[in-house]
Amino acid sequence: MLSIGGQDLFVLEFGDILHYFSPYTLTLFLLAVLFTGLAIISRPEEQIEIAFGGDAYYAKETTLPEMRFRRFMAIACGLASIGAMVSGDLFNYTLFTSMVGITNVGIVAAVKNRHVLNAAYAYGIVAMIATLPLFGSAALIVATTGTLSIPALAAGGQAVPLVGKALLVLGVVGEGMAPFYAAKAEMFRAPGAPYVIMCSLSSLLIFLRVVEIVTTI
Amino acid sequence: MIPEYSLGLFAAFATAAVAFYALVRETDDLHRLLLTDLVEIVTLAFIALVGTDLAEALILPGLVVGISELIALSEIYRVKEGHIHPPRKGLRIEVMDSAPLIMAAILVGYGIVLSGFPGGAIAGVGVIFYFICRGQHERFELIETASGYSWVLWIVAFFTFMLFPQYWFCAVMLAGGAILVKVMAKMSLIGAMRGGPNA
Repeated sequence: MLSIGGQDLFVLEFGDILHYFSPYTLTLFLLAVLFTGLAIISRPEEQIEIAFGGDAYYAKETTLPEMRFRRFMAIACGLASIGAMVSGDLFNYTLFTSMVGITNVGIVAAVKNRHVLNAAYAYGIVAMIATLPLFGSAALIVATTGTLSIPALAAGGQAVPLVGKALLVLGVVGEGMAPFYAAKAEMFRAPGAPYVIMCSLSSLLIFLRVVEIVTTI
Repeated sequence: MIPEYSLGLFAAFATAAVAFYALVRETDDLHRLLLTDLVEIVTLAFIALVGTDLAEALILPGLVVGISELIALSEIYRVKEGHIHPPRKGLRIEVMDSAPLIMAAILVGYGIVLSGFPGGAIAGVGVIFYFICRGQHERFELIETASGYSWVLWIVAFFTFMLFPQYWFCAVMLAGGAILVKVMAKMSLIGAMRGGPNA
């Protein structure tokens, strides 16, 4: 068994539900906490557009309700990432991942611009379809091995089916597609900044965590 | 592996293939949204195939995720296409004026007898029917408050199970009644989806 997580630092068992930290997940967890903090204290970027061919420019105002909604979504996304990092239960991980997907849809869709909304809609459909392989993999694994706890799967004799792992990776990739669509709508230096950075960070974190899970179980 | 499970898995994969093929072929945005709901149902089928108590516990979050994504996407679609008109009053037939009270009373009564989750669903159908027919000039804050308190009771019952297992019967009754009110209150909101003064 290849272990990239390292030695367990901390294990909290609460009935069936289990949380654990290894040096690997602890690093990811601290990153998630740091960026959630940054999302809490940061202000929206004031966007300035220059009229082509002249001296004129105009500044776009972000209204308070829109700013509040975007900040809320960014914080919720950070909390969902934190949950996905610490969870030692496969189904909880998939649930937190799908919550990351929903909040990413919210972050992208908060900008009221037809171009951006089209991208958000396309991403939302991908994220929704991705729940099929995501939950499908968790269901397949629990049906074949009888447990969802990651340490038990790592220690137990039952082989986790390869198709289950493949579906899990596919589902996480689908949920973490947000940066692609945000880039398609040219949001990074424009309407969505700085909250849109949560899209990239949460996708990166859930990708890194799924690598750990797939190599551990 | 048990043959029923393999058979069901095969059927679910076949359905998923049909749904994905339809999604590839479809180009209209609204129809794609409806097709993703088809994919969502296959997801629930995958979980339900496990067929244990654990599957029952897992299917509810799966359902909630699916519904919340569907609602979020519908809202994005509505804003994107610029549909801002409130829904019109449709469908007025005679039975909708005479039946609601007695039908709702029967369904709610039967739901209370059943109690628990299925009871909540049946009582909820009764309340949905009443709200759809009569309009909802009722006080939604009241329903929401009842729903919140029933959630608290449910948690209390949960802790009673964990800390004082000898009072399990009281906890079962508490949880059964609370989940009845909770599910009914949540479902009754569907009856108010046509819009209205305080919806």
